[in-house]
Amino acid sequence: MSRQGARLDAKKVNSELFTLTYGTLVSQLLKDYENVDEVNKQLERMGYNIGIRLIEDFLARTGSGRCYDFKDTAEKIQAGFRIFLGVSPTISNWGPGGDEFSLIFESNPLTEFVELPDHCLNLKYCNILAGVLRGACEMVQMEVTSWFVQDQLKGDNVTELRVKFIKRLEDAIPAGED
Amino acid sequence: MADEALYEFLHSELVGYVTEKSAKENKKDDLSALEYMGFSSGYRIIERLTKERPRFNDELDTVKFICTDLWSTIYKKQIDNLRTNHQGVYVLHDCAFRFLSKLSSGRQYLESAPKYVAFTCGLIRGALANLGIKCLVTAEVQNMPGCKFHIQVQRS
Amino acid sequence: MAVCIAVIGKENSPKYVACLHSENELQFHYKVHTALDVVEEKLSLAGKSNCDVRELYLGLLHSTEEHKIFGYVTNTKIKFIVIVEAANTTLRDNEVRTMFRRLHAAYTDVVCNPFYIPGDHIVSKKFENVVKSIMSGNS
Repeated sequence: MSRQGARLDAKKVNSELFTLTYGTLVSQLLKDYENVDEVNKQLERMGYNIGIRLIEDFLARTGSGRCYDFKDTAEKIQAGFRIFLGVSPTISNWGPGGDEFSLIFESNPLTEFVELPDHCLNLKYCNILAGVLRGACEMVQMEVTSWFVQDQLKGDNVTELRVKFIKRLEDAIPAGED
Repeated sequence: MADEALYEFLHSELVGYVTEKSAKENKKDDLSALEYMGFSSGYRIIERLTKERPRFNDELDTVKFICTDLWSTIYKKQIDNLRTNHQGVYVLHDCAFRFLSKLSSGRQYLESAPKYVAFTCGLIRGALANLGIKCLVTAEVQNMPGCKFHIQVQRS
Repeated sequence: MAVCIAVIGKENSPKYVACLHSENELQFHYKVHTALDVVEEKLSLAGKSNCDVRELYLGLLHSTEEHKIFGYVTNTKIKFIVIVEAANTTLRDNEVRTMFRRLHAAYTDVVCNPFYIPGDHIVSKKFENVVKSIMSGNS
């Protein structure tokens, strides 16, 4: 079949489809749950489910071994965003104990085209990301928690996701041992 | 490509969410929310995809666009076969549908197959709706991972 | 520089109308309606004569002593109408095309906002900024 008009840029289209699909998910959740906090929770939960599977893909793709320390973890998370979302957040604002840092996003494919209406000010639109981090880290024996400190959808210049190390999780006992 | 994996996981979560929701509401197998999410996504994406494109000549031209340009960018390949009776019925046959390829080919997975094509049925319906073609889209899965999408144009 | 910009939906109902000077709004609404008739005419000619409506930009639809009215219809049947002052003789064709391209890009962004329900009136700060910029002649 002969093609006319501009050739579609597959990378761009897929990124846009991802953005739109995520947007319809958020809309659906807002329809299903009256409480915005519930929506935030659901997004985090789904992110968790994605995170526990995404980490396998990440490890296979990068051949990464164990993280030496939390700074190493931060860099791997940064790499993960680059690989899967095509964005490069900067790492900054390290806490004094070295167990807390921020990821600063100047752009975010999840929020492209989004304009948050006034009645959704408590919505953590990108909360799925917090869940993804929690799930991914749990699979490599780390308990972390993350939360949004700044949000471009709410008028801030950047979106800032803060990540905190809680504790190391017990290694699973390998099969075969008692 | 890495973003493919992420999209597949997101799609899986949508499927899981709707399945759970329907079960809770005692409406087992109700995939309408999934179809609607596809509809909304398709409707919106087509607005972007047709921005630079000259006007479509006719209905067949529009459906062909879905089968070639749209399908190859989103589903990584073109539709393998397009049939039409030239009276508003189109059958799009994809021999290796992206979201079914990850499911095993065994017959026991045939039961879950509808969940993995519902979003796409909606996507096609939404894309065509925004282009002025109102239709019904259903899917037929007989030989995994192949899938036939049936488009029935509704003329008022 | 435009004095009026309108976005008309599929069913020919207005989704967004902005005028540089609000006192002329009613007059412009009327002009937009007249322009829509011309749009329908042009689209229905598609394929019948050697008239080529494959282009989204429809060009000059109508002119009066005071104004020139240009039109553009997307593949998704959304119509954009731009009205400029007839006195503006330095306005080039490609400048008008650029106005429509920017409008089109801004419109597709609105449609992709998950909080926008297609068919509704457009309420978007980003869109408004683009329209203001087009009307004031900033590139």
